[in-house]
Amino acid sequence: MEEEGYIADFNGIEKPGDYFHRLRDEIQNYNEKFHAFNFIPEKLEEGFPFSVKDNICVKGVETTASSRILSGYLPPFDATVVRRVKEKGFSFIGKTNMDEFGFGSFGINTDISARNPFDEDRVAGGSSSGAAVATALIKYHIAIAESTGGSISNPASFCGVVGFTPTYGAVSRYGLIDYANSLDKIGLMARSVKDIEFVFDIMKGKDEHDSTSVDRKIENKKSRKITVIDEMIEGVDEDIKRSFDSLLGKLETQGYKISHISLKEIGISGPVYYIISMAEASTNLAKFSGFKYGLKVEDFSLDYNTFFTNARDAFGEEAKRRIILGTFVRAASVRARYYQKALSLRALLIRKMREILKDSYILSPTMPIKAPKIKDVEKLTPVQNYMLDILTIPPNLCGFPHISFPYDYIDGLPIGAQVITDHFNDKALFSFVEDWENNFTYKFKYNLGEI
Amino acid sequence: MKIGLEVHVALPTRTKLFCACSTEETEEPNENVCPTCMGFPGSKPVLNREAVRIAKSIAFVLGCKIREKISFVRKVYFYPDLPKNFQISQLDASIGYDGEVSIKTKKIRIRRVQIEEDPAKILREKGMTLLDFNRSGVPLVEIVTEPDITSEQELRMFMHELRSILYYQGVDIDREVKADLNISLGKERVEVKNVTGIKNLIDAARYEIDRQKRIIDPGREPIKETRFYDEDEKITKSAREKEADEEYGYIYETDLTDYDTSGLVIDRGIIPSKEAKELSEKYGFDEQVLDELISLDRDAYRLIVSAAGRYDPQIIVSVVEQLKKFGEQSISEAAFEALLGVGKEVSLTREMIDKAKKGESIETSVNKENIEEKVRKYMQDNKALFEKARKDTKVQNFIIGEISRKYRFNPKQVSEIIKNMNLFK
Repeated sequence: MEEEGYIADFNGIEKPGDYFHRLRDEIQNYNEKFHAFNFIPEKLEEGFPFSVKDNICVKGVETTASSRILSGYLPPFDATVVRRVKEKGFSFIGKTNMDEFGFGSFGINTDISARNPFDEDRVAGGSSSGAAVATALIKYHIAIAESTGGSISNPASFCGVVGFTPTYGAVSRYGLIDYANSLDKIGLMARSVKDIEFVFDIMKGKDEHDSTSVDRKIENKKSRKITVIDEMIEGVDEDIKRSFDSLLGKLETQGYKISHISLKEIGISGPVYYIISMAEASTNLAKFSGFKYGLKVEDFSLDYNTFFTNARDAFGEEAKRRIILGTFVRAASVRARYYQKALSLRALLIRKMREILKDSYILSPTMPIKAPKIKDVEKLTPVQNYMLDILTIPPNLCGFPHISFPYDYIDGLPIGAQVITDHFNDKALFSFVEDWENNFTYKFKYNLGEI
Repeated sequence: MKIGLEVHVALPTRTKLFCACSTEETEEPNENVCPTCMGFPGSKPVLNREAVRIAKSIAFVLGCKIREKISFVRKVYFYPDLPKNFQISQLDASIGYDGEVSIKTKKIRIRRVQIEEDPAKILREKGMTLLDFNRSGVPLVEIVTEPDITSEQELRMFMHELRSILYYQGVDIDREVKADLNISLGKERVEVKNVTGIKNLIDAARYEIDRQKRIIDPGREPIKETRFYDEDEKITKSAREKEADEEYGYIYETDLTDYDTSGLVIDRGIIPSKEAKELSEKYGFDEQVLDELISLDRDAYRLIVSAAGRYDPQIIVSVVEQLKKFGEQSISEAAFEALLGVGKEVSLTREMIDKAKKGESIETSVNKENIEEKVRKYMQDNKALFEKARKDTKVQNFIIGEISRKYRFNPKQVSEIIKNMNLFK
């Protein structure tokens, strides 16, 4: 049945009259345990179910980006992606959990962390934790998620689903609560790449509300070459490295030509990413001042500085950290050393990676580790934490489209590989992963909404 | 003494800089607002092309070099009137740079012309701070001068000149203008922020010059500080802020792409003082008088240009001045021409103007008699010439020309009257 994907399958099946009612209750029940959703509507419309990461606006539905400072924010408009998908008859089933504003790699920077469906003691990944968990739980469903530095690939890998991050600019960001405007991309997670392609075709294209969205043709320039960059294997756990080697072997037998190269600039991508993203984030978070929307400081007798400071107390630790660091790197005295330099290094990295991508894919493990236990993650220092994004950062920093797809299960936990291609060649990724899916069956522990 | 200015001018667009909300003033506060100009999470700015076009025109008439590719920055500071707590503005890639404005005594260099969004309006009432976002997102240009102004008089001349130039771009900044004033008589720079209106700007400068003089004269130094102008007390007051260099943490506004301005067709506009000078040199107008007449009057300029070179400059000026008194300078050029025919000596009446507007003949008896009288007088004084004229049309034309010039009559009219008087027969 995977031939046409879950959407085609779903539309072809006769469903019981109370299907959507029961689906809702089922999701609500499982949410008690997995915390995939921040919000589930009282009643579901008919249509193929889709969820929306909680940093993307749905008209009249509380949209918080998992931040207390946005509690109660009811956007007066739909994000363009949400509007376009709704118009095609998809059914909105809820807002998915995430790290506050997208700040995190494990989905733990939120009130209640989403749990990994393969092992509830483990993290789901982040920041689009709920999107990945919902995809791993619900059989017929597609998740609209968002990635700034790896927020789609990472949880997709940990939860064993397919996660697609499009070329920067291919999908409108109107309605996205910004993390870092030059890096944010709205993408998708699903159980099959065919569903992703179907919904991507609905979401993509120029939007008059987002000046950075473009109407470029999305290509499908396939390649039979795969490049593995040494620096993207170095720090990877041994068991994942071994498994990834066997993936390369399989792909070789399927006719791909594998080559290994060194690209030392990969090493700078982490610092460059964190400087740019934090600089932009610290300006995006400036607007939250506690009186126009979301959390409201009621005491209007306070002077503005005190009022404002009280409001900003609602940010979580990681948000505060990024505001402070981001404000620092753009200060007049150091801007040239950090922010400006990071911008030129990003341009350099784009050039270097494009040289490789013009006639081959880049392939790497998505994450250097398997989904860790929640209690272990809590012990990590911020820098150790940031270093785990090292494989998802390069394509995100450079705006290259990429997909994380499940390719193995170690100790009962899924692991993903990440395939990257050149700007606006997103459809080649669909072809690549579709070929993979023809030879590999993904495992799911839950099939909510199965008919 | 060094004075530099940052002048903020609202652009005459129908919609705001980054959203489709109307820029019109409304009675109720917060009527022309949307998620973008309120800074709601999820909203995005989309650049208003017309605002960029007008800004480009302004940069052009201020003699600036125009950038083909412009970009925007976020200027981050925290204030309740700023919906996003950053203002979308321009810095290195502003629309215009390196311009100049000429005043009588010198050239004032323009460092930069940049596009930015207006914040909301703050109203303080009954101990409350109220916010009106109608103005939030209205397009502004900020005109930044070099500190080339060295006296109150030069400041006056510069502001007059700037007002006049901008008037021809469709903006009258007289009361609307908001400016920051940098004045230093000593070593340190004093900034007087947020002065509204040209009159207040000059008053604030005069006060501040005087204040700094009083400090310097006994041998002390004014301190580097930010001050505000109190319109009621007519004095500047220290903002009492810790004095550090302003830290705005500029970064690029990446929700907006680089914008190519080369396709924007500008209003060439004019520089009225330059126009007055050129017309005077060419046609013999009094430059000062002409400058005053057109500096804030597009219609006066239009009428003058339509007749310059064909009529006596003093008649043109006189008729325009009289029309302005009647508030009728918007009449058509044809009607204006009819009135010019009446001549300099005659005061226009409401009746004459109305007739001219309807295209009716406005030859007045007063005027006809006046011409007849002057012709007779001329004949008395030049009998021999009239003798010659009987046989020679060249001499006839010479006489008509002489009378017209001497008494500033319309030659056509003079010719007809002489013909009717049968003086060449």
